[in-house]
Amino acid sequence: MKFMIIMKANKDTEAGVMPSERALTEMGNFNEELVKAGIMLAGEGLHPSSKGARVKFSGGKQTVTDGPFAEAKELVAGFWMWEVKSKEEAIEWVKRIPNPDNTDFEVEIRQVFAAEDFGAEFTPEAREQEERLREQLAAKQ
Amino acid sequence: MRFMMLMIPKGYETAEPGTMPDAEGVAAMMKYNESLQKAGVLLALDGLHPPSMGARVTFPGGKPKVTDGPFAEAKEVLGGYWMIQVKSREEAIEWASRCPASENEIIEVRQVQEMSDFPPDVQEAAAGFAELQAQSGQSKGA
Repeated sequence: MKFMIIMKANKDTEAGVMPSERALTEMGNFNEELVKAGIMLAGEGLHPSSKGARVKFSGGKQTVTDGPFAEAKELVAGFWMWEVKSKEEAIEWVKRIPNPDNTDFEVEIRQVFAAEDFGAEFTPEAREQEERLREQLAAKQ
Repeated sequence: MRFMMLMIPKGYETAEPGTMPDAEGVAAMMKYNESLQKAGVLLALDGLHPPSMGARVTFPGGKPKVTDGPFAEAKEVLGGYWMIQVKSREEAIEWASRCPASENEIIEVRQVQEMSDFPPDVQEAAAGFAELQAQSGQSKGA
């Protein structure tokens, strides 16, 4: 099962404060463990929302708003994609995320949709289209 | 430059476990996905099961505390994302605007951090990361 592990933002990530050298080192070691355990698919950090934008769809129109966006704790600061056997396994790994500076942070664990999660509405044609897209993406990497 | 387009579907914060997107919406979205792919900008994409099937972990006093979804206080949640490789923030916003999104949906456009965005000392401390990413399932875009 594939899970997205979402690192929620806080005032430091939104202010663009860099983690300490110790935090970076410990996170590097943790990432290495994830790779060795064979569960790490991807991991990325995002620039603060002040550099971003939102597009809202309403009444057939798109409205663009520049960042920053309120409520830092609802925003995403970064994420991992993990391949694990269960939600419990994902939670066990999340509990081990290093936090040497004892900062206040929240992590959200969300299962990713896979083709087998869908029923008959996901027609053979749509499945084929999806598979083709995934193959092309994989070939590009 | 890599950008993440974060889909924030209205009402998904209270969706029941097992909620699936409807076939019509998926068909429209597949066309959009293909247009991203044909333009050579698409790097990755995923949809997420509702938060009622997920969990949140906080670390009060350094100890992990697990809360199962749904999350009562959440006003908005993530429904999925696209990772794209484009030349500018404007191009990313342009692509987000073309999405066949439903009424009241929001797409948040956020730039992905590259190693070269960091000061030299941080780059050094995180030196192994690019290598790790190469070893993991999904590498960086061109």
